[in-house]
Parts: sequence; C-alpha cells; structure tokens
Amino acid sequence: MEDVVTESPPPSRFFQEDLDNFAAPPPPLPPPLLLLDPKVGPDHIRPPLLIVALSAPSLAILHRFPHKILIGTLILPETPLAGNSLEPSPRDRSCYIYAVDHRPAAAVLVAVQFPVVAERARAVAKSLLGAIQAERVLIFDSIGSQNYRGRLAVDETLAFKLETVEERSGGQPLVRDVDFLPSGSVMDGLGAAIIAECQMRRAKGTLVATWPANGRSTVVPIIRSLLRGLSIDCGASDAGDEFDAGCSFSSRYVSDLYT
Amino acid sequence: MEFTLEEGQNLSADCPSLLLPGLSIGNVGQLAVDLLISSTGAKRVGFLDDPSLLPCVGNDAYGPEPEGVLALPLEAYESPPHALTLIQQRSPVIKGMIVEFAKNLADFVSSIGKKHVIILSSLDSGRMKKIVASSDMQVYYVSSTNNDGTDSDCERLGFKRLEEYDPTQRRWKYLNELAEGKPDREDELSFEDELVHDDYYPGLPFAALFSCCKAKGLKISCVDVQRVGGIYHYHGNQFMGHHLMCHFSDLSWYWEQIYYFFRGMY
Repeated sequence: MEDVVTESPPPSRFFQEDLDNFAAPPPPLPPPLLLLDPKVGPDHIRPPLLIVALSAPSLAILHRFPHKILIGTLILPETPLAGNSLEPSPRDRSCYIYAVDHRPAAAVLVAVQFPVVAERARAVAKSLLGAIQAERVLIFDSIGSQNYRGRLAVDETLAFKLETVEERSGGQPLVRDVDFLPSGSVMDGLGAAIIAECQMRRAKGTLVATWPANGRSTVVPIIRSLLRGLSIDCGASDAGDEFDAGCSFSSRYVSDLYT
Repeated sequence: MEFTLEEGQNLSADCPSLLLPGLSIGNVGQLAVDLLISSTGAKRVGFLDDPSLLPCVGNDAYGPEPEGVLALPLEAYESPPHALTLIQQRSPVIKGMIVEFAKNLADFVSSIGKKHVIILSSLDSGRMKKIVASSDMQVYYVSSTNNDGTDSDCERLGFKRLEEYDPTQRRWKYLNELAEGKPDREDELSFEDELVHDDYYPGLPFAALFSCCKAKGLKISCVDVQRVGGIYHYHGNQFMGHHLMCHFSDLSWYWEQIYYFFRGMY
C-alpha cells in the first residue's frame, strides 16, 4: 500500500475556476439536429440493436460493414462541415447513421466521426436515443489514460465493459467474456452520456471500452469477435483499417486550413 | 432535473433529511457522503440527471470487488433506519452553470418533500479570516434557521458559525437574488468585477446550494470541515471508492459529528 503521508497526492478533480458560482456560463448552442430519411420504417426507429461507434477501431470496422444503408445523420451546428465529401467517408467530420438489414441481425449503426465535447455529450445522447429507440444499445469507446486507475502500457490490449442495471438483470448479456471496468476507473464523454441516458430510460445498454485508443491490430479483432458473436456480419478485415477511420487519429488528414 | 427510480425501489416518506455534498477542492464532501452511504448500508433508490452535469460513469463505487453495478454521476440513496436520504454527486458541473444546477436540485428536493437538507463540504483554511492554530479538525456551519446563519442545534454540537457568512454582503445578496429568480438589475455585479476577500465564500458551490434551497423554503444547513495542512488534498482523486480507508480516522470523526447532528435533530 502506498504511504499516504509521504506519497505525492494525486491531482484534485477540481480547479478553482470549476467551483466558481459566478463564472460566466457557456454561450447557448442550438440543439443537435438529427435527420432521418423520411422513408425509414419502424424497424429502423425501433431496431433490436443500436451500435454506436466512438473509438477509432470500431469506426474502422463499421466502415467495412457490408449491406449497410445510409439512413440519416446527426449534425452539431458548431462543427464545421468544410472538407466533408458528398459520399460518406471515414475521414469526414460527420455522424452517419446506417441501417443493416441483413437478417438475422438487424441493427442501426451510428458512426460518430467528430469530437463531441463533454458539455454537449448529453444533448447528443438524448438526440440519438430519442430518435432511435432500440431494444438494446451497444457503445464502442476507448479508455482514456487519464481516467484509468493504473498504468496503461502502449503495447497492452485491454477491453472492459459497463452495463445498465436492466442489461445485467435481463438474462443473457449482450457482451460476454469481457470483464467489467475496474472499480476506480471511469469513462467520460459521449460514451458515458449514452449509457447514462440508457440507464435513465431503463434501457438495456452496454459500453465496451478498449485500449489502446488508436487503431491497433489487437483491438480490431476483439471488436470483430464481439460483433460476430451477435451474428453481425462486419465484412472482411483490411490492413488499412487502423489508419483510415476516426477523428482520434493523426490530425494530418483533418484541417480547417485545407478545404 | 430528471429522476428515475431504480427497479423495485420507491422514495421513502420516512426519510425527512437529505444529505448531499457541496463540491470543493479535495472532494471532502463527496468522500464523506461515500463513507456515510457505505457505513449506513444505504440502498440506491434512483438516478438523477441534469443538463449542467458532465457525464461520467464507473463500476460499483462501494463493493470491494467490481461487480458491474453501473455508477452514474448523480444518484440517490436511502437508509430508512437512519431516516436519511443521500444524494451523491460524482462529476463536476459545467463551468458557469453551478447556480442553475443548484436551482434544479433545490426544485427536485422540494418536490419530493424533504424537510431538512444538509450539505457537506470543506473550506480552504488559507482563506479564512481567522486560522485556528490547532491540529484538530474544525467544523463550521451556516444555517437557514436564523437570518444570521446561526442554529442552536449546530451550536450545541460544538460547530462554529462561519464568520465569513454575511447575508448583507454584495455577492451573498446577488446569489440570493439569482436563487429567487429575480430579474436582472442594471446594477448587477459584473463577472469582471474585481474580487475582494469577502467575495470568496459566496462563490463556492455550497453557497449556491444553500441559497437555492433557502429560496425554496427548505431548512438548510451547510456543514464545512476545515483542516490546516494539506491532508485533504490527498483525497482529490478518490471518490470512486478507493483508499477511503486511508484517512478513516479523520473522516470517521467527521462522520461521527454528522451522525450526532442527525440524532440530535430527530
């Protein structure tokens, strides 16, 4: 056990400016805009499964999904669209919504390819879950090193999960053979907001958090294996998967200077 | 403020007192609430959600082994044998939204019929007018019982009224007006006004909770612990359940005082 007297204290979670009642509030922003194809049927508004890809490895896999149909998009007014292509691209700053109708596992897929600041995460979560009321929700996110209690080695591959009460008590879990996130570690941002919204709605939700955050050859097979366990065809793998998709990759492909 | 009951749970009419943390450097209030939830065996009864709260989730804040019980940023617990409801807050409020959060929380607390709200927080000893040169923990309070912030029950327990509480001071007055939802005045304080020493305490989260609960007509007591030295700084990153036992000897004293506070009242 660490010596509590002589060990340097960990940083407090709060800075003084975070605790000021009279700090200026953030400027109000318009709500997220979620657009769905008017021809979208009830199967897509209430699918058996909603998969939300936030991490780079999951985005890379999602873009390889065969049989997916673009059915909508979510727009954050403060996110610039300059540089986006007309056809969905893994390099776009966008949030595309797809339907996968390949039986037996129908699902709606959401690829979140732009950063969502913590202050907007709740609004995005409510928009998504308000429009797409799935029987079960599965979120793929990354572990943040600043939120993990312990050391994370760059050459180590980890996968943990969190589940809502309803998912844990509802019989067979959606995701098996993955340990729960260690106590003392936390998840924040959009992934946390989505699973928290699932809990507030008493819906079945699972958050799978993987490490390392950027696409690595060891994380992609884990996610593929999980999806195959759900009878979801995620297409063939590609050696380029780890470099193509996701806003968390190197910013050399993403710049407001070049449009 | 949204509230969802946990499956099979209800809010008890036998828990008239509500205890919640006021955010502070060192997270002492949150640690104290965690200890109280753990030691009273309080059961989680529901989840709360507010637009001003930053998202943060984890696994089982209290079990010695992680069992996968999802922990949300704002949760309600009850311990009917102690006639106590507790709200635990595990993540920060969006910068600049503390008063809004406090108003929403006060509205919720009022709507569920609580009679007495106790806020647990901590104070920076370096900011106090008079630093007590003692190794003992000092417990200060502010109460809505009397206009000057005094309360005979708190005095009886040996708590000291926070000398820095002055309801006539400009920022305390402004905070009260914000809490009461009064329209903006032309001479309202500017956020860029130069701060003076007395402006510090009304700027703290416990003051927003105090003012907003008071504006709803709730009986509210803020109990703040002050400790000379940096020992509470160690607790800054601990409120998801680890290392709570390291300073149990200090916080157990704190918990005892709060427990006697309750027993004295009911």
